[in-house]
Formats: sequence, structure tokens, C-alpha cells
Amino acid sequence: MFVQVKNLNLIYQSQTDETQALNDISFDIEKQDFVAIVGPSGCGKTTILSLISGLIKPTSGTVLVDGKMPKPKDNLCGYMFQRDNLLPWKTIEKNIYFGLEIKKQASNERKNYAISLADKYGLKEFLKKYPSELSGGMRQRVALIRTLALKPELLLLDEPFSALDYQTRLNLCNDIFSIIKREKKTAILVTHDIQEAISMADKIIVLSARPAKIKAIHLPNFEANLTPFERRNTTKAKRLFEKIWQEIQDENKKI
Amino acid sequence: MKTKKFSKAHYDYLKLHRTKKILTLLTQIAILVAFFLGWELLSRFGVISSFFFSSPTRVAKLIGEMLRSGELIYHSRVTLNETLIGFAVATGVGFLVAFVLWYSNFLRQVSEPFLVVLNSLPKVALGPIIIIWFGAGDKAIIFMCILIVVIVTILNILNSFTNCDNQLIALGKSLGASKMQIFFKIVLPSSLKDIISTLKVNVGLSWIGSIMGELLVSKAGLGYLLTYGKQVANMHLVMTATVVLCLLASLMYFAVALFEKLMQKKLK
Ligand SMILES: Nc1ncnc2c1ncn2[C@@H]1O[C@H](COP(=O)(O)OP(=O)(O)OP(=O)(O)O)[C@@H](O)[C@H]1O
Ligand SMILES: [Mg+2]
Repeated sequence: MFVQVKNLNLIYQSQTDETQALNDISFDIEKQDFVAIVGPSGCGKTTILSLISGLIKPTSGTVLVDGKMPKPKDNLCGYMFQRDNLLPWKTIEKNIYFGLEIKKQASNERKNYAISLADKYGLKEFLKKYPSELSGGMRQRVALIRTLALKPELLLLDEPFSALDYQTRLNLCNDIFSIIKREKKTAILVTHDIQEAISMADKIIVLSARPAKIKAIHLPNFEANLTPFERRNTTKAKRLFEKIWQEIQDENKKI
Repeated sequence: MKTKKFSKAHYDYLKLHRTKKILTLLTQIAILVAFFLGWELLSRFGVISSFFFSSPTRVAKLIGEMLRSGELIYHSRVTLNETLIGFAVATGVGFLVAFVLWYSNFLRQVSEPFLVVLNSLPKVALGPIIIIWFGAGDKAIIFMCILIVVIVTILNILNSFTNCDNQLIALGKSLGASKMQIFFKIVLPSSLKDIISTLKVNVGLSWIGSIMGELLVSKAGLGYLLTYGKQVANMHLVMTATVVLCLLASLMYFAVALFEKLMQKKLK
């Protein structure tokens, strides 16, 4: 079991209030699984990623990644945040190298890999520009490349495509999907887009409204070798969409 | 990268930009000229008493005389020395303390009320104590200067450090960055603008510190010339010292502004 989440509870504390974000969450992820997490807004999806990356500690319950409590120093996870978090004083190129720089892995080979990704995602001309000169979608691609450049075992993607136009989004989905499959990585994708979840994931976790409980887990079981784009057009995908839509709809009514 | 051919609109834009800049500069010069010309004319035609207000030509004449006798250089150097030492020490110490307080939450919380009280305390009130401790010399003046500058420096820089975007820090943490890496790679670059504006404020404050100190105790320096001129009712001397002070302070300000430009270029 690569990622093991067991009876996870999380309560955010502040001086004036406490917010229960997660309520007894348990799930397992095998190596090379692609898992999607969907659920109503504010239910606790980002919180789950923060816990798996080791950025925050659970109030109770356990998270194990590769058999250990996750620590950011372990170099296991590549966490792409919901917000692009580009450093405004660095050029796009330097931003792409930032993860490598922090982890002291900025070898030429790694840098070249990063640049080849930038080239592939249409950012080559913008390497010397600053983040403020790029559109939201471009910035999101830069953040994604910064994460991929580290070649992490486990990718945590928090709505990585939310700022992209539909066309780019579908293309990038295909690309990310094939990178992850080719490199035999494990990935957890948080998304609002049910279709996106269905088209990419081997396992879809549907969360309830906050505090998040697991509402359902779906295993689409598509035939092998279908691209996300092809998956979208199957009747299986359409049926699953309706089912998950209804589940989230029920949760939204509770808010 | 290939060189780009720009549209006519771009050149028009540049031209407009340049015209505006020149216009601003000309207006600034005009205001200075009008000020000195007005001052001169008003005192020459007796609208204002030249005994109380002196006049630009008299000030210029006195500057010339004092330059020849070496007095002006001597007194300017004394004050400049105190100011620069005060500025440098206070800025350096302020920065280090701010770093330590950023690093340790505990120390920050412990020191907060002390800093706030020290900040609201008028430092001149400590003048007599400082003089008794350090003697009536430039040591006391420099200490006064440091005291005035350092607290504000700590508060401003610390504020800038602690206001650093939490999400960027979370990014650093998710990459496994150490606290030092987070400081040097994320917090410090985020605060650079604020640090430079703190430097600019500190220029003004360190002049306040040194002149205040000189008004209290000195035997030399521009502040001393001011007190002396006042005592012997020599308004020409008072005005001269004031004008020289303005000149030196602006020079120092421009040096900081130049430093700012260099930093910006280096960052690019
Ligand atoms: N640092 C924090 N301190 C206090 N409360 C928090 C904190 N972070 C999140 N919360 C609360 O926890 C709940 C879950 O937040 P989380 O960010 O995990 O939701 P999400 O599912 O990612 O939402 P979205 O879909 O809008 O991104 C929210 O109600 C939020 O207000
Ligand atoms: Mg979120």
C-alpha cells in the first residue's frame, strides 16, 4: 500500500473558533494508482492533500506514505497548489527551477528536462518574462512544470487545470495522464470537474459536505489504453457522471 | 531572442512617457528657482526682514567664506560622520533583530510590548540620560541617532517579514525547504521593497537623530552651528547651516535611491 489514510480527523483551531474539516476519512492508494477526489466546495479536499504532503498533522488518525509518516523533506511528493504560487521576483525560467534549487537537484539534466516541458507547453518564449506578464492559464502551466521537474513519486494536484480554457485543459489532461502512466507515478487529483475526474482516474473518491466524510468510492474500470479524451466519450463515463453529479448535488443541498 | 519591431503606437507611447517625465522635471526645477528667487527678491526689497530671513545671496556668500576657511567642511564632516554611523549601525542591528524575531515566534511575542512602548517613547526625552552615560560628545550623539532609527527599523522590517505570503511559505515547506532557505529564498526577496523604503525613511530619521543630539550637547557639527547662530542672533549662519543640511540629506537620499535602482537591475 503506497498511501494509507486511516480514520483521519482534522479540526482547524483558532483563537475564536474551531472548524472540523475532515471526519473519519479512510482510503488506500496503490502504487501507480491515479486517484481523483471530488466534492462540494470547501468540504476539505485541499486539507487532505496538505495532510498527505505532511504540511499539516492530523488531529487524529494516521497518514502513511510509503510506510512512513509523510514529511516534506522526504522528496516523495510533488505538491501543486490550488494557487500557482509563482515567485513574482523570479523569471518564469527561475520559477521552473525553484523546486530543483530548494532541493539542490538543479543539475543540467534536470534543468533541461524542465525546459523541454516548458517548450512542450508553449512557454518557451516566456522563459525570461515575469509571472505578472503571463495569463492565469500560463501561470498554472508553469506551476505544473515546476512540480513535474522534480519527478516526484507521488503527485498531489490541487485543481491544476482550473484556470485553463477548455481546449488546453483537455490537451493537458491527456499529457499529464500519459506522463504519469509512462513514468509509473502515483497521482492524487483534486478537481471540481466530475468529467475530468472520470476521464483520468482509476479511483474516484466522492466527499460529503464539510466536515468531509467519504460519500462514495467509484472504480470506473475503463479498458486499458484509452486516453482521457477517449474515455470521456464512452457511455460508461456518461453514466458515472450522472451518478456522481447526483451524489454531489445531494451534498450541496445540505450546505 | 529575436529583436522585435514595434508598432508606431509603441513609439508614440514612449514619446508621451518621455514628454511627461521631462515636464515633471522642469516643473520641479521651476519650483526651486521660484523659491530662491522669491526669497531673494522679497528680502532685497524689504518685504521680509533680511535680519530674520537672510537671503540666498548672503547664504551663498557665507558658504563661500566658510568653504575657504575650512569650517564648513569640518562641521559637515562631523555631522555626516555621526549620521552615517548611526544610520549604518541602526539599520544593520535593526535588520538582525528583525531576523531573530522572525525566526523565533516566542521571542517575537515576548518582545512585542517592549518594542511598541519604546517606539512611542520620544527618544529625545532620553537625552539627559544618554549624556550622563556617554558624556557630552559624539558618542552620545551617535547613540541618540541609533536609538531613534533602530526601533522603527526593527518594527518595519519585522512587519514586512511576517507579512510574507503564507502560501509562498507553504510552497517552500512542501518542497522541504529549511527555515533558512525559506528566509533567504522567499521571505527576504518578498521584503526587499519594504526594506528599501525602510532605508529611505532611515535616512531622514538618522539626520533627525544626529541633529537632535547636536542641539543637545555638541561642540561641533551643523547642529552646533545652528545653536551657535541662534545664540549670537546670526540668521545668515542659521540659514546657511540649514541649507547645507538640506543638501547633504538629499545627497544621502539620492544615494539610497541609486542603490534601489542597482538592486532592481540586479534582480532582473
Ligand atoms: N488554515 C485554516 N484555518 C482554519 N480553517 C481552515 C484552514 N484551511 C481550511 N480551513 C477550513 O476548512 C474547510 C475545508 O477547507 P479546504 O481548503 O480543505 O476545502 P476545499 O475542499 O479544498 O475547498 P475548495 O474546493 O473551495 O478548494 C473550509 O471550511 C475552510 O474554511
Ligand atoms: Mg481547495
